[in-house]
Amino acid sequence: MSGQLTSVLRSLVFVLFALLLCSAIFQTSGFSAVQVLNSIAEGAFLRPNAAAQSLRWGLPLFITAVGVAISFRAGYFNIGAQGQFYIGSIAAAICAEALTGAPPIFVIPACFIAGMAGGAFWALWPGLLRIRSGTDEVITTLMGNFLASLLLIYVTSGPLKDPSGSGQQASSRPLDSSYRISDSLGVSPVIVTTALVTGVAMWLLVNRSAFGVLAGLAGRNGQMIRWLGTKQWQLGLASFLISGALAGLAGTLEFMGPNGRISSGFLPAHGFTAILIALVANTSVIGTAVASLFFGGLASAALYLPIMVGLPASAIDIINAAIALFITAKSAFVDRLLRVGRRDHG
Amino acid sequence: MDEMIIAILRSSTPLIYVTLAGVLAQRTGIWNLGLEGLMIIGACATVLGIAITGSFLQGFLLAVGLCVAASVLLWFVIERLKANQIIAGLGLTGLGLGGTAFAVEAYMGSQVAVTVSSGAPKAGPVLGAFGVLSIFVLLMPVVVLGLWVLLKCTRFGLQLAACGEHAFAARSVGADPSRIRLIALAAGGVLCAAGGAELATGSLQLFAQNMTAGRGFMAFAAVIFGAGHPVWSTFAALFFAVAGVLGIRVQLTFGDNIPHGLLQTLPYLATILGVWVSGKLRGGAKAATLTEEQSDV
Amino acid sequence: MHRSFVPALSCSGVTVQYGPVTAIAGLSIEFAPDLIHAVVGQNGAGKTTFARVAAGLVRPEQGQISVNGRPLPTGSVPNARAAGVELVHQSFALPPSFTIAEAMEFGSTRPGGIFSGRSLARRWKSHLRSLDITADPNSRIRDLPIEIQQGVEIARALVTESKLLILDEPTAVLSPSGIDLLFDRIRRLKSMGVTVVLILHKIREVLAVADTVTVLRGGKHVAGPLPCTELESASLARLIIGDGTTVREGGDIKALTGADAPESFERTAVPVTETPARTTAPLLEIRAVSTAPDSEGPPLSQIDVTLQPGEILGVAGVEGNGQRTLVRAIAGHADLISGTILFSGVDVTRENLTERRRQGLRIIPFERNTEGLSLTSSLWENWSSGALLQGSLLRYVRPAQMRASCDTTLSRWDVLYHDCRQSAGSLSGGNAQKLILAREIDDEARLIVAAQPGRGLDVGATAFVWDALRSARDRGCGVLLISSDLDELFDISDRVLVMLSGRSVGEHSAPYDLQAIGAAMTGANQ
Repeated sequence: MSGQLTSVLRSLVFVLFALLLCSAIFQTSGFSAVQVLNSIAEGAFLRPNAAAQSLRWGLPLFITAVGVAISFRAGYFNIGAQGQFYIGSIAAAICAEALTGAPPIFVIPACFIAGMAGGAFWALWPGLLRIRSGTDEVITTLMGNFLASLLLIYVTSGPLKDPSGSGQQASSRPLDSSYRISDSLGVSPVIVTTALVTGVAMWLLVNRSAFGVLAGLAGRNGQMIRWLGTKQWQLGLASFLISGALAGLAGTLEFMGPNGRISSGFLPAHGFTAILIALVANTSVIGTAVASLFFGGLASAALYLPIMVGLPASAIDIINAAIALFITAKSAFVDRLLRVGRRDHG
Repeated sequence: MDEMIIAILRSSTPLIYVTLAGVLAQRTGIWNLGLEGLMIIGACATVLGIAITGSFLQGFLLAVGLCVAASVLLWFVIERLKANQIIAGLGLTGLGLGGTAFAVEAYMGSQVAVTVSSGAPKAGPVLGAFGVLSIFVLLMPVVVLGLWVLLKCTRFGLQLAACGEHAFAARSVGADPSRIRLIALAAGGVLCAAGGAELATGSLQLFAQNMTAGRGFMAFAAVIFGAGHPVWSTFAALFFAVAGVLGIRVQLTFGDNIPHGLLQTLPYLATILGVWVSGKLRGGAKAATLTEEQSDV
Repeated sequence: MHRSFVPALSCSGVTVQYGPVTAIAGLSIEFAPDLIHAVVGQNGAGKTTFARVAAGLVRPEQGQISVNGRPLPTGSVPNARAAGVELVHQSFALPPSFTIAEAMEFGSTRPGGIFSGRSLARRWKSHLRSLDITADPNSRIRDLPIEIQQGVEIARALVTESKLLILDEPTAVLSPSGIDLLFDRIRRLKSMGVTVVLILHKIREVLAVADTVTVLRGGKHVAGPLPCTELESASLARLIIGDGTTVREGGDIKALTGADAPESFERTAVPVTETPARTTAPLLEIRAVSTAPDSEGPPLSQIDVTLQPGEILGVAGVEGNGQRTLVRAIAGHADLISGTILFSGVDVTRENLTERRRQGLRIIPFERNTEGLSLTSSLWENWSSGALLQGSLLRYVRPAQMRASCDTTLSRWDVLYHDCRQSAGSLSGGNAQKLILAREIDDEARLIVAAQPGRGLDVGATAFVWDALRSARDRGCGVLLISSDLDELFDISDRVLVMLSGRSVGEHSAPYDLQAIGAAMTGANQ
């Protein structure tokens, strides 16, 4: 397993690079980089309540990220998590709207299913285009993100519009409180259980099923698996659909949990952060769980910074972006560094 | 009618400059998803530069400097550190959007738009009603044509194309693909600076957070829809701009009765159509993947 | 050491490392001007690396290159080209979308200015004509037949009026008559005062065209340049193979080194074993199959192939004449427009590859590193993939168990490795091919399609592959061997079928007639 250790260390080195780049940006903008990073660490991990906050943001991120990781493993470069997340939340919202009045025990599972179906649908068409005509899924899923956010604007300012809503952000009518699965703090038994079940199921699928081994092979080399006669498209499409469904599930959790409604352009960085988490974790399920808590902490710090220390929230966006810039790097220099380090420790 | 043409030219010009930057990168085999970030850096740096120095030229030079630096950073990460170009490009975009928001707050201490007193130089009264157009608009056709000639009719253009199509071929005649990509990305940085400057100071004189609003991605879409050809991609960008202007017109005329979002989806739907058709015709243009890389030979 | 000439190209003490692998070690050779020099050796001997060092594409860790006595800064293509060194690659290196004229301009080093398609065609017309390339300068590289593509590559290399041309395995892709044409072209270049260094694979070809020969083995200089007139092919074969490798004596050695004319091989095994299977249906029967055109070479048209159990049927042909489509059709990957495919009398035309594999079909694909293996995946994943595909995808599997049985199998196949969790990319070419054999030639294998199984392997590994195929045949399997190496085909096949433009153009059996088969490969007999 030393290969895995190296890849984790490599990820950490590049995260460090990214933080250095960010420090340079903060410093040239007239802030003290040390102070900024310090406040972020405090906001993310050190202040009281930080663990709960990091869970609140980390759990939905984990669900989306583990899906992204599965499609990456299978070689499908699904960068449409944001769109699948939105469509999932829209589908859940429509479902909740249609079933208003029915008992929660019936409505909540129905909304979960609707949300997952919605997310899966938003992965289905890019998947089919890729399989049937070789259309590059990077572009279709990217465009899918824009289409989904336009659709979100449309439903929140049209069919699902909250007439009493004011301000510049269009929102849907709030979800009836009996259907909510958590309060606005966003950590509740339902959400934690959902994340746990998802994690265990995905770990089994990836590490202990024929599907997992073959999808990994197909992802690294689809041509090879084709010559062995598999239904490569089945592996790919299944992974694609799982990733869409999980992003949709995360959208549903955000809608029925902490947010209680959908609004145009809500959580715009969710999908991108989930992609980052999957990459930082090198697509391993357990790694994804750990990285989700870290990025969840960063996300909670984004809210803390402007209020508590008067720093722009965009500091967090910069850190995430800088990590994205470096995370996929493969540098012989860093590898050499890591090898030397390992020899020193015996 | 004049007013309509002016509106279209104004909204298409920033898009076209950024599209051309994308075309250059595309030719050398890089799918530049950092265009959005580069464009907003261009817009922000121009306005902040003007705010600090009071001169448009110095503001624009600052924008050029920063955009080229950001492009070189992207080149370094992709070419030297062998990072995945899609993720690195998205990272640069995030860095641009976040960094400009941060910089505006840092320098101006407010989250609202920064306005300045001077903008890009205008054509002047010789052009009558079109005199309000900035020099970027007037130069745009020249740049498009120039790029087309460069790519089609010079040896450098051939080497650029070889770089994207068969990098080993370029290497074996002594061209250095890595250096050619650096040149293409750096030149793209200048074009993005021009696009950003036109967006912020061509007709308005302000910078607001997130003011590019996805134009960089739309430019990327135009590159794909135009199959990486400078002229076709320019027309694709123009088409997207026309759709945008029409959308606003429709909105103004009919109010909220017609969801103008429908027209806004056009660039994205057109792009999906574009990659689908090109996939059918050419067996699929492939962006960077996460799978095993083909060997150099 | 005395010499009467200034060497056109000399290298001294050149060492190249690719990561942990030493490609060439302390290589020193001097090539006299105005001659045709051959450089021979097994795959992995360092021939291509040597050529790339000379052309400036690879920077050596140590050593010096000189051209006409002047030292050349290493690792710089522009410097090498300025000194007049040009290299034509084995797998051609021109962007397929370029026109011939654009390819010339692309390679030129003179100032070019701004041009149009027409002015470009005019500019390069006489150059192309002087090299006998009569195709329209505005036609695209990808539309040209392979012989002309190679001609264009040579013309591209000569746009700088180079005086030293290196060709890396130029014969590998050509038919026998194409090779004759190439050799004529090379002799013409010699008469024009060009020094030619030919990287070759076969002794026969060396003796046909070269003035001197140099032998490399394992990255080291073994002998030469020796004048070809003083050489015997048997001793040259010994030099190429070396003493450390055990190869079946007789036919195999000659086939592996391309010594002598292929028709004179003594055949080591007479395998026409009269198995009872003769009374049953053939193992594989392809009846009048035609495929829809696609991007992977010419479609099949009305092809018939019959393979009995216990025989090796060779498929000869210049690369790109439908061999790939034939394999894809057998695998069920090609789009059939007519005809039927039967396995042991059972129609499988509509079955997918999973079902066909269940019936005993095994495939060793053309490209070992991209189609045969996932280089970044572990050995056990690569090995177990075949078995994993049989059965439900959602069933529970135990990786530890699979690793244990992988270890057992791989040691039976003599694969050299440390841990079955290491990546397949860390194996040498020969061991990688053994890994594929271990996966494909299992107990249930009945029909084995081996596409270019010896390509890129050194002599020992090639011989291992041949023996594996022979013993599979002796067990009663049918083997369809696709190869562009006639020596390989003639040595181990029981029958040879020739393909041209997606059609079968005749079947031959031992003793093989090189002339007749060569003519069939190019359609000269029609």
